[in-house]
Amino acid sequence: MLLEVEDLRVSFQTDHGLVRAVDGISFSLDQGETLGIVGESGSGKSVTNLAILGLIPTPPGRIESGRASFRGRDLLKLPRRELQKIRGDRIAMIFQDPMTSLNPFLTIAQQLTEVTMLHRGWKYKRALDHAVEMLERVGIPGAGRRVNDYPYQFSGGMRQRVMIAMALSCQPDLLIADEPTTALDVTIQAQILELIQQLQKEEGTAVILITHDLGVVANVCRRVNVMYAGRFVEEADVDSLFAQPRHPYTLGLLNSLPRLDEQRGARLDPIAGQPPDLTNIPPGCVFHPRCPFRIDRCPQEVPALTERIDNRRYACFVDVEHQARVAVKEN
Amino acid sequence: MNAASPPSAEVSHRSQAAGQQPPQPLLKVENLKVHFPFARGPIWNRHRGVVRAVDGVSFEVYQGETLGLVGESGCGKSTTARAILNLVPPTAGHVYLNGQRIDGLDDQAMLPYRRQIQMIFQDPFASLNPRMTVGAIISEPMKIFGLGSEYDRRLEVLRLMELVGLNPRFLNRYPHEFSGGQRQRIGIARALAVQPKLILCDEPVSALDVSIQAQVINLLMELQQRLGLAYVFIAHDLSVVRHISHRVGVMYLGRIVELATAEELYARPRHPYTQALLSAVPIPDPAKERKRQRQVLRGDVPSPDREYPGCSFADRCPWVEPRCTQSPPPLEGTPHPAACFVANDPQSPRGK
Repeated sequence: MLLEVEDLRVSFQTDHGLVRAVDGISFSLDQGETLGIVGESGSGKSVTNLAILGLIPTPPGRIESGRASFRGRDLLKLPRRELQKIRGDRIAMIFQDPMTSLNPFLTIAQQLTEVTMLHRGWKYKRALDHAVEMLERVGIPGAGRRVNDYPYQFSGGMRQRVMIAMALSCQPDLLIADEPTTALDVTIQAQILELIQQLQKEEGTAVILITHDLGVVANVCRRVNVMYAGRFVEEADVDSLFAQPRHPYTLGLLNSLPRLDEQRGARLDPIAGQPPDLTNIPPGCVFHPRCPFRIDRCPQEVPALTERIDNRRYACFVDVEHQARVAVKEN
Repeated sequence: MNAASPPSAEVSHRSQAAGQQPPQPLLKVENLKVHFPFARGPIWNRHRGVVRAVDGVSFEVYQGETLGLVGESGCGKSTTARAILNLVPPTAGHVYLNGQRIDGLDDQAMLPYRRQIQMIFQDPFASLNPRMTVGAIISEPMKIFGLGSEYDRRLEVLRLMELVGLNPRFLNRYPHEFSGGQRQRIGIARALAVQPKLILCDEPVSALDVSIQAQVINLLMELQQRLGLAYVFIAHDLSVVRHISHRVGVMYLGRIVELATAEELYARPRHPYTQALLSAVPIPDPAKERKRQRQVLRGDVPSPDREYPGCSFADRCPWVEPRCTQSPPPLEGTPHPAACFVANDPQSPRGK
């Protein structure tokens, strides 16, 4: 097991009260595996990964409990210096906005060589050669020349390629990609997703892909966790998740998507209501106020994310598939 | 919902074929151009140029119809909408509303037309005044146009709030007390307040989460049916545009490169750019995703500050031929025009 996260809880103290951004999640990741984490804004996807990397500002943030064991060492307990040795070397990350994650005052060469000089102790010359090689691998034409350019001289897609080159410079075991294509146009998104997959195949890097886009998940991931209000509500391999969603929230998400591959003009079936206020999480199942399958038990008891009778893992008391079939008959 | 759609493009095409007088379009845009001049470099070596944000766009919108405009960032979709309302002055071209020319009018002369065309913006956080209550925001357009008495306006605000699915109890609340989806409903209510015939929707659901996005799309479609509104719906999300539009125009670097009914465009895209764009959209179905042949375009969207002697898509195009770089291809072919020499060439195997 490369990474094992157990019962992670992260909260933030705000003016409006305590926000439970991540509320007890567990997952694990094998070497070379791709795990997707999907959810809407505020569901805690990014906070989960910032916590693993020790990047939660404290205060106002606080890691309440949990363990994140990476190759047997608990990342949440490591001293700062030790963590810095792992970050960028064994675990690398790509963020959503390639505009703000590069330093506008430094050339690409300066930013790309920093990683290997720091973690590998290379001299500048050698690091620069490596940087040019990485830029070539991520498909930047004229890499030897462009390495001396500043970030503003690159387009959004090219900047994200630079970020990927930087992330993969030390051949990390794990790459965390937080909404890597959200700021990009679709044709550029297709290029970047293809690149990530190709590099992953070559290097055997494990990837955690955080996204709100179910299409991207279907395209890239093998296994998916669906996150809602700080909790995982369903975990499944990508085929079962899309073919037979078991949690009402997953089902609701899929039903509210207009899709290119379906008959046009059908009415969308959105999830009613709004996502919950995280300072005031509803008792029992977090999704129950919006859930069409709600039963008496839901507001009283928190359903655990465990394996159910049908060998699937979801946090729900109701057999959604059966219920959905009944609903269709009644109509 | 589609079956009951009001006179859409399909209908208008049919009546033309039958030799009848075609209905007058509500909005007609003719060869619209918006160029922004810029100067770069030090004074002694100044380089002057123009950004061709919109470079010759023509289309018509009929009553009760939704025309979708899709394209990637920087293709000129939003500038087109702004130029229609004269929020940025068009460099060339004409805009007609019900046959009346409205481009180039000053603010005073434009006012009565603005009552007929309203706009909904992308960012529900930036497009509402944080210091005004919801009631004041929604009634402001009525005040500007001098509609009704204070009392009438108040009643109308309550009716509008009900119409867009906001609880009228929230009348005196401020925008920050609402979520993104609810704020977009406020923006919609404000646009409806002066009973427009046409609403320009500029990425109205792009900032919203999927579950909320679906609520707002459904609302827009319901309102269209009930009130007979026409929409120009601008978005970069191809699935959303297909869902809501009757006809769709695909834009690339300031031009419409293909225009057809939504069914036709998505089922049989003719322009190579449309084909690449459609193939790039990931489908939320892993089984279908694995089977798909993805056509990945090389390169980036080029900069609109360059002038292209030929087709602006030529240097990314998989079909490029020598003639493509010589003159710009016109938007040709009925009833499904595309701006591509190859696609319009009956000799070419791709020209169908």
